[in-house]
Formats: sequence, C-alpha cells, structure tokens
Amino acid sequence: MNSATTISALLARLEQFSVALGRVVSWMTLTMVLVTFAVVVLRYLFGTGVIWLQESITWLHAVVFMLGAAYTLQQEEHVRVDIFYREMTARGRAWVNIGGLILFLWPMCIYLCVEAFDYVRVSWQIREGSREAGGLPFPFVPLLKSVILLMPLTISLQGVAIFLRSLVHLREG
Amino acid sequence: MEWVALLLFGVVVLALLAGFPVAFTLGGCGLLFAFVGAQFGVFDDAFLTALPSRIFGIMTNETLVAVPLFVFMGITLERARIAEDLLETLSDLFGSIRGGLGISVTVVGMLLAASTGIVGATVVTMGLLSLPTMLKRGYSPEVATGTICASGTLGQIIPPSIILVMLGDVMSSAYQQAQLSQGIFSPRTVSVGDLFAGAIIPGLLLVLLYIVYLLAVSLFKPSALPSAADVAEASRRVTLRRVGQALLPPLLLIFAVLGSILGGFATPTEAAAVGAVGALLLALQRQQLSAERLRDVMQGTVRVSSMVFLILIGASIFSLVFRGYGGDDSVRHLLESLPGGAIGAVLVVMLVMFLLGFVLDFIEITFVVVPIVGPVLLAMGLDPVWLGIMIAVNLQTSFLTPPFGFALFYLRGVAPESVTTGQIYRGVVPFVGIQILALVLLAIFPGLVTWLPHLLYGQ
Repeated sequence: MNSATTISALLARLEQFSVALGRVVSWMTLTMVLVTFAVVVLRYLFGTGVIWLQESITWLHAVVFMLGAAYTLQQEEHVRVDIFYREMTARGRAWVNIGGLILFLWPMCIYLCVEAFDYVRVSWQIREGSREAGGLPFPFVPLLKSVILLMPLTISLQGVAIFLRSLVHLREG
Repeated sequence: MEWVALLLFGVVVLALLAGFPVAFTLGGCGLLFAFVGAQFGVFDDAFLTALPSRIFGIMTNETLVAVPLFVFMGITLERARIAEDLLETLSDLFGSIRGGLGISVTVVGMLLAASTGIVGATVVTMGLLSLPTMLKRGYSPEVATGTICASGTLGQIIPPSIILVMLGDVMSSAYQQAQLSQGIFSPRTVSVGDLFAGAIIPGLLLVLLYIVYLLAVSLFKPSALPSAADVAEASRRVTLRRVGQALLPPLLLIFAVLGSILGGFATPTEAAAVGAVGALLLALQRQQLSAERLRDVMQGTVRVSSMVFLILIGASIFSLVFRGYGGDDSVRHLLESLPGGAIGAVLVVMLVMFLLGFVLDFIEITFVVVPIVGPVLLAMGLDPVWLGIMIAVNLQTSFLTPPFGFALFYLRGVAPESVTTGQIYRGVVPFVGIQILALVLLAIFPGLVTWLPHLLYGQ
C-alpha cells in the first residue's frame, strides 16, 4: 500500500468519526426542545418544577455545542472571514488551513487540555455534585466538565483530517 | 504594556483576514500573545488560569440556552417552506397595486426575520425566492436587490432574533460591571426580554421607512416597479382561506413566542422551546416533516450552535489576554478622553463597530467588542437597552454598506448573472440612507427604544 492510499484511508476514518459524533449529538437538540417543553408544561399546567430536569437542558445544550464542534469543523461551518479566502486557489486555501492549524487551532486545543486537566481531575476527586438541591447527582458535574477535555481532543483529530486534506491539495495542485 | 493589547487587537484583525475559522483564530492569537508575553515576563499567566471555569461558565450560561432552541425553531420553519407560501400569497394579494410586490417582500422579510433570526439565511432565502419573481415582473434590479438586502437583514434586529439574545447576555454583564465600577452594589439588571421589547418599535420603524421609500419610488419613478397589471400577468385568485392558511400559523407562532416573553409569562428559553414544538407541529400539519428533514433540522442546529459558542469560547480567551495586557484600561482612557463626553464616545464606538462590521460578523462583534466597550459606555450613564439597539441597527447598516457589506455578498451568491454587482450596490444605497436616518432618529428620540421596555417591565 502506498502512502497516498494510507493517507486517504486515515483521512476518511477521521472524518467519519467527526460526522458520527455530530449525528449522535444532533439527537440531543430534539431532546432539548422536548425536555424544555415538558418543563414548561409541568410548570404552567401542573405547577411543579423538577430541578434535575431543568438542569439537564443546560447540560444537553453544552454537550451539543462542545462535542458538535468537530463535526461543524468537518462541515466547514465555523465562520471564516472570507473576503480574501473566497478568492484564493485551492493551494492558497490549503496553506491558510495548514498555517491556521499549526499556529492557532492545535496550540489552542493543547493549551485547553493542559489547563483543564486539573480542573476536571479535581471535580472527579471531590465527587462534585450539583450546586442546586435536587439537581443532577454525582457523576454528572465531573462528566460535563470532562467535555472541556473532549472538545479540544475531537477538534484536534478533525484538525488532523484537514491537515491531510490540505497536503493532498498541495500535492495535486 | 498597554500598547501590546492594541497590537494584539491589530494582529487578530489581520490574522482573521487570512480566512482561518474565526473561533480558533481569536483563541489561538490570544494564546500566542500570552505565551510570548509570559516568556518576556510582561504577561501574568494567572489571567489564564480562570480559563476552564470560564468555559464551564459558558457551558452552563442559562440565558444562552435559548440560542439553540430559537435556531431549531428557525430551521424547522425554513424547511417547512413557510416563507415560500407567505411570499406567494402576499404578492398575489398586493401584486396588483403598484409597488405591492416590493412591499410584500419587505413584510415577508420582517416576518421571516422574526421567525429565523439567523444571519445571512434570510438574505439567501429571500434572494432565491423573490428576486426572480421581482425581475420577472419588471422591477428594476436596483430596487429589487436593495429591498431584499435591507429586509433580509431585519432578522438581526426584529425579535426574537438570536443576536438580541446574545447581545442581551453580554449587555447584562457589562451593565453589572459598569454599576459596580461606580460603587453601586445592588445593581439594576437588563434582560433579553428588555432588548426584545426595545427592538420592536425601531424594527417596525425601519419596516415603515422601507415601505415609504418603495411607495415614493413607485410614485416618482413608476417604471422601476411596475404593477402586475402592467406586465399583464394575471395573479391567482386570492381567497380569504388561502391568506389564512399561509399567514395565520406563522403569525400566531410569532405572537405566542414574543407575547409570552414580553408579557412576562415565559423566559426566552421556554418561549423558544414552545416555538420549536409549534414549528414542528406546523411542519407536520403541512406534511413537510419527514424523518429525513427532522435529521436535517437537528444537524443544522448543531452546526449553528457550535459555530456560535465556539466563537464565544475563542472570544473569551482573547478577552482574558487583552485584559491581561491592560487593554480594557487603555480603551477606557481612550474613550474617556474623547471630546464631547458620552456623545463623543458613542459616536467613535459606533464608527469603529461600523467599520469592523465589514470584516467581522455580528456574533464576533458582540462577544469581542461589546464586552470591552460596553462597561465604559454604560458607566457614562447610557441606557443599556438603547445602547444595545443602537449597536444592532448600526451593525445592520454596516452589513448593507457597499462594497464590503455581508448581505451584499450573500445576495451576490444567489443572484442571477444578469444582475450586476454595481446594480446591487446602487440599489442598496438608499436603504443605507434610511438606516442612517433611523439611527439619527433613535439617537434624538431614545424613547423610541426605551418607552416599551419601561412600560412592560417598569423601571
């Protein structure tokens, strides 16, 4: 097997992962809508509030945008200032992407992982619970905080895919 | 080391122009400056240790939960082809009047804006839907494209726009900060509902001004917008039933969502969820909701939501570093030293935002610039709702202004080749004039903004 096919196989595998993650997470948007609606119905029709249900809305929302970020990157939906980018050749764009990954995206992701590691570890260690009485119980807060580590990890992987795709563009064109 | 902060700002703007996604450019640039500064001992890392808890704060920000829910509602309505129906019905209804189609487009723009509020989406939808019809009816390309750009950008100001949700969140913390800096320890608050209420009269004022302009053109230059009768195209018969079917459900939905927020019955988040369920039912009733389309809506919501919140994360990193270099102090000194006090400061900020609007989107400006200048301006005694609405109308103007306005690019992308870019530019100029007129009116009569929120929510 030559290196070109290895690269394209790896590229496909990485992108599949981002897309699959995005698809899974997308169900949480519908869940959010329905849970929020249920909370409204409970409050206004039955006069009761369930705190953990209320909390779960915020949590679903957080997981959606944090873990959907890699998929969004794969789909080219993170906004670019494209005044010049729009006019560039495929080669030029490949260079912008490689530069951006090396200068901005990867350093930012690595830094987030390093900086957040202790923050998350402490949360697991002290078995942090919800601040609200009747909120979601123990593993939920540390789990949600762990998403702060998963977001940069998944984005970095999608970054590798973009890097490979850019290399392919440079070689071909 | 205040000059480093200004350098950082300049470098970020230049880096953004290269075209790498904004969220990572903002965050990455900020961190690069922090690393280099820390090496030379001019930057204190302590500023960045707050980062994880900042991000967790963004994740659990309850105001902003409304954003994905409104996006979900907007995409559902868009996919359910509500806009198409509305436009067809209204243009058949008003098409026989001179200028009627143009007015229909404006009204549909307003209603669509209220139901989607996603930047760019409305201009594209309107461009695809109404531009061909307008051109076919013999409208001059200038008038047609100008109308579409202007009414397509209404989505940023007419509630429940997601931009007002974000602006409301940023404004409320800026307002707290401003009052704390003045030694007020039981600060008054400003909410997303306040901004929604404040935006209603200015939004309607803009729509009214657009319509007056179209009527004036039809009076003084009738060849630019012929009526349907002139081109001998019989419109379909408009029954009351058809109008009801097209107009009533989306109108009800908008009123229910807005009404429950403004009436104080529901938080924006709750209203958005009810709106989203309503939109799903509406799509179901029109037989426009397949499993395929539902997946499409859900995935679209993930993309928009991630895009918005990653920018917020990138912008927070940038702001932490900017603050670490004393950037907010230098901005405050700069604004306070301007002649004319609050008026001078507002003018300069508005001008800078207007220019930044050529490069940056509403989301970036809201999350990067407003937190820096907001507290300073509010500490000068400005009303937070008024300031928020001025920013929104100002940026809408910026997005319309040739040659860089975003709306013009979006429309260019979907306009047929026969329409020249020059025609789009010329067509939008009168609308830019209208926007500036509106800004002047709002500046002279701030009551246009503040009257309704005061009426609804008291002081």
